[in-house]
Amino acid sequence: MLQTETKPKHYQKVIRADRWARRLITFGGYGIIASIVAILLFLAYQSLPLAKNAAIKTLFTFPASQGPSKALLTGIDPFQEIFYILDEAGHVQFYQTAGTKPLSEAQLPLSGNEKILAAAKGSLSSELFAAGTDSGRIITAEVRFQLDYSESGRAVIPSLSVKEIWKIPAAGKAASSNAASSDTLPDHVEKLAFSQNEDGSRFYAWVDHQGALWVRSYDAEEEVDYLHPLSQYLGESSVTALTISNHGENLVAAAANGIMRWFDLKDLEKAALRDEWSISNGPASALSYLLGDQAVAIGTAAGAVEVWFPVRTPSNLMKFRQIHSFRSHSAAVAQIYHSSRNRDFLTIDAEGAAQLHYSTTGKTEVQFPRPEFSIAAGAFAPKSDGILLVDAQKRFTLFRLDNPHPESTVKALFGKVWYEGYPGPEFVWQSTGGSDEFESKLSLIPLIFGTLKGTLYALLFSVPIALLAAIYVSQFAPFRLSRIVKPTVEIMAALPSVVIGFLAGLYFSPLFEQYLMSTFVFLILLPLIFLAGVAAWRAVPESYRMKIRPGFEVLFIIPVILIALQASASLGHPVENFLFRGNFQQWLYTTWGITYETRNSFVVGFALGFAVIPIIFTVSEDALSNVPKSLTSASLALGASRWQTVRRVVIPAASGGIFAAIMLGLGRAVGETMIVLMATGNTPIIDFNPFNGFRAMSACIAVEIPEAPVGGTLYRVLFLTALLLFVFTFVLNTLSSLVGERLRKKYARF
Amino acid sequence: MEMLQKDMEKMAETAHPEIPVEFSALAGERIVIETTELDFYYSAESHALKKVNIRIPYRKVTAFIGPSGCGKSTLLRCFNRMNDLIPGSFLEGKVLIEGEDIYKNGIRLEELRKKVGMVFQKSNPFPMSVWENVAFGPRVNGITNKSELEEMVESSLKQADLWKEVKDRLQASALDLSGGQQQRLCIARTLANKPDIILMDEPASALDPISTGKIEETINELKEEYTIVIVTHNMQQAGRISDYTAFMMLGEMVEFDTTKKIFTNPREKMTEDYITGRFG
Ligand SMILES: Nc1ncnc2c1ncn2[C@@H]1O[C@H](COP(=O)(O)OP(=O)(O)OP(=O)(O)O)[C@@H](O)[C@H]1O
Ligand SMILES: [Mg+2]
Repeated sequence: MLQTETKPKHYQKVIRADRWARRLITFGGYGIIASIVAILLFLAYQSLPLAKNAAIKTLFTFPASQGPSKALLTGIDPFQEIFYILDEAGHVQFYQTAGTKPLSEAQLPLSGNEKILAAAKGSLSSELFAAGTDSGRIITAEVRFQLDYSESGRAVIPSLSVKEIWKIPAAGKAASSNAASSDTLPDHVEKLAFSQNEDGSRFYAWVDHQGALWVRSYDAEEEVDYLHPLSQYLGESSVTALTISNHGENLVAAAANGIMRWFDLKDLEKAALRDEWSISNGPASALSYLLGDQAVAIGTAAGAVEVWFPVRTPSNLMKFRQIHSFRSHSAAVAQIYHSSRNRDFLTIDAEGAAQLHYSTTGKTEVQFPRPEFSIAAGAFAPKSDGILLVDAQKRFTLFRLDNPHPESTVKALFGKVWYEGYPGPEFVWQSTGGSDEFESKLSLIPLIFGTLKGTLYALLFSVPIALLAAIYVSQFAPFRLSRIVKPTVEIMAALPSVVIGFLAGLYFSPLFEQYLMSTFVFLILLPLIFLAGVAAWRAVPESYRMKIRPGFEVLFIIPVILIALQASASLGHPVENFLFRGNFQQWLYTTWGITYETRNSFVVGFALGFAVIPIIFTVSEDALSNVPKSLTSASLALGASRWQTVRRVVIPAASGGIFAAIMLGLGRAVGETMIVLMATGNTPIIDFNPFNGFRAMSACIAVEIPEAPVGGTLYRVLFLTALLLFVFTFVLNTLSSLVGERLRKKYARF
Repeated sequence: MEMLQKDMEKMAETAHPEIPVEFSALAGERIVIETTELDFYYSAESHALKKVNIRIPYRKVTAFIGPSGCGKSTLLRCFNRMNDLIPGSFLEGKVLIEGEDIYKNGIRLEELRKKVGMVFQKSNPFPMSVWENVAFGPRVNGITNKSELEEMVESSLKQADLWKEVKDRLQASALDLSGGQQQRLCIARTLANKPDIILMDEPASALDPISTGKIEETINELKEEYTIVIVTHNMQQAGRISDYTAFMMLGEMVEFDTTKKIFTNPREKMTEDYITGRFG
């Protein structure tokens, strides 16, 4: 009091400094909270678009243009500036999305009043199509969009070029028993499917006016044609729909009696029937292979929409199975178009209603607004960011399709999905494949499982060691020893995890594989020899035993370890010979079907343990040493042995800290990246078996984020993974402080 | 144990012909603790007890008094070997309890400490329930029978004059008791072990007068059955509760006599000065 009066200046200074310090600390505290929230928000912001549903927006509607001819086929350029329409008279009209009247026009070389009956696109990368006419000709042509940079800016100039004109084999050549009446009709192409592969080889499948099914394979390299009549496989029923896979290797044909047939066209010289099955919701009225050439979208006369793909049977045959069914149409499905970017496909029914579906997830994403006139044809924009629909009056509507992440539904991320080529629904993580047509498999379950598996093995290894060490150092070790051990363990914590991962992956895992049996023998032998040693120690006369300074008994473990090491090294081989017929890995595989991976969970558990042990040790050692001496003294003075004191007094009193230590270790193991990255094979499998690896969330992010296109689905799913990790550690930490607090309240009020 | 018993009887019979002059007051008492030329070092430089000779009589209250830092606590802790916990400390000379050298090889510390209980200056109940605190000693000594434990807990709490206050809250945390109750709980905890000797290091120094009174009452009752050694700074307390008093100074045993003699007519000038408050 007196001082403040005599030295007011000094006092004010103190107050001011105090205030500033308080502000700084408050600022720092809020800063940390703010940055954590910011990280959380950023992660959420990056991953939130995954949850967005597909949305369409009508960009413009082009009024009906002249001419009574029916529209058959349509397409649009990648910039969505020019689109075209092919009608049954062979007119190809080009329109500008910005303008109001036709831009230009081209004509397919048709003769007289020859009419196009069927048209089909045949390439994923260009606007190549084939058109079959009522006089039995098939014209292959391509629409090109050329970019022209003039002073007025960029312009897209469309053009049409005819590639090939040929005539189908004359009717009557096909085996047909009652062809009497149809013989009088000219040859014509009733149905047509077409595809050109990357070598330029072309595949045509068509049905002629007699109902005969044909395939023509044109080998571009050898410049040879192969013609395959397929009617002998068909039976009585007529073909209702056809589709050829995008690379021309497969043909699927639907018959009016509901029978579906799958032909293999891989060998250009023949076409072989591979599978035959029937569908139940009425005969297929439209078919389309989807991107990836595995799945076939089937639309039926009853309006059902299904996806089927071949699945390997136990007898090693590929059989088509129904995988998904989608929201039905109220009328027969007339057309199916597929995206060339992803597993989207568009179904259009006879009444003109259109729907957009995503094959992998089995989800119907969009129902298009019902037009005034029925839709005749549709097309995906090349980047799958737009859909063009044309009605019978040649009225166009262009929709912008906003569906950047169709493959990431909650079910796909966290549930089992039946992917193409898999025998059943599974949790699979396989984000990228060999080609753009790869079906990405983004189940987070294998990653979460991997993280938990790694953590589990790490904790199994490190918790006992770290806790026992902490108990020893804090309660039993002589000061001279603990003075060395503590800083050593702290140095261990400073060891970069890259180094640990490197050593584990490149040095330790082959070593472990080499001495696998010896390691196991060691793990069994060590406690046995230890117990034997203790028994022997008991037999030593007390007068000798007393000479050992308390706390130094631990040195006794050194000869035990040495003996166990020596014994297990020499016993490894005999044990392997005796129990496992000389080769443990072989035995493991033949008896349990377990494959041994060099970089397996044992190794990771061991290596991760190195990262986790220092944390658990340091924190729990602190907690144990902070148990007041008065409590230990009280216990000892009551005649409790040192171990009883530790067990009944010290550990309960330190339980809060020990719990927190384990949780911190858990958090570290969950978040650890480099070690799991380098010491596991990173195979995203779900298997508890310690002899194979796993892929942890953290390692997966590290491996895949550099490859993931910014803003793409994988990119966002990786952010979601990061968010999950964040939430996971957040929950762990909160849990640890909550439980720790309760334990402290209960046991540690001293 | 049996051997100890016999030794004790023998000792009582022979009545110590070599008792030094200072211990003449103990004539006729049975000696339970005896030290000869006891030197204790916290480290080579810190010589805390110097050639201490003392005798503690059977079922009497013996008080240690002396200025702060003179080694009373140290001496007390030599009796149950709690000093062993201090790294670097060592001891020379002998401590006999009922005739047995407790520092010789082969002594089981747990047995010794069960027999020689200790109550600390600051109450230190375990962070457990009242019941568990009292049952701690019997449990670590291998008693698991629930009803036996119940009985021990009850009788110990009764002996420590705490039963009435806590019988309804045996499962409550011991830390919720008042300071005085906590100290009596610590006494009860020690009693539950059925010790022969109870060492008390300033058991009431942190307590208010009423709690102190209660503790003193308890001690008075306990001396019927236990040999009690108590360290105190409170002269009145020493006068009230002890039968014998030892005055220590700078690690040396200065004077030992009946409490009455020490307080009325001490032999040494130093003792008189300390008791009359001329220093301390
Ligand atoms: N753990 C220890 N380590 C080193 N020196 C100690 C330790 N405990 C006590 N001492 C020293 O030993 C001497 C005797 O201490 P002791 O605690 O026995 O005194 P005391 O008579 O009990 O004093 P008080 O009345 O203050 O409790 C003192 O000089 C003290 O500094
Ligand atoms: Mg003291």
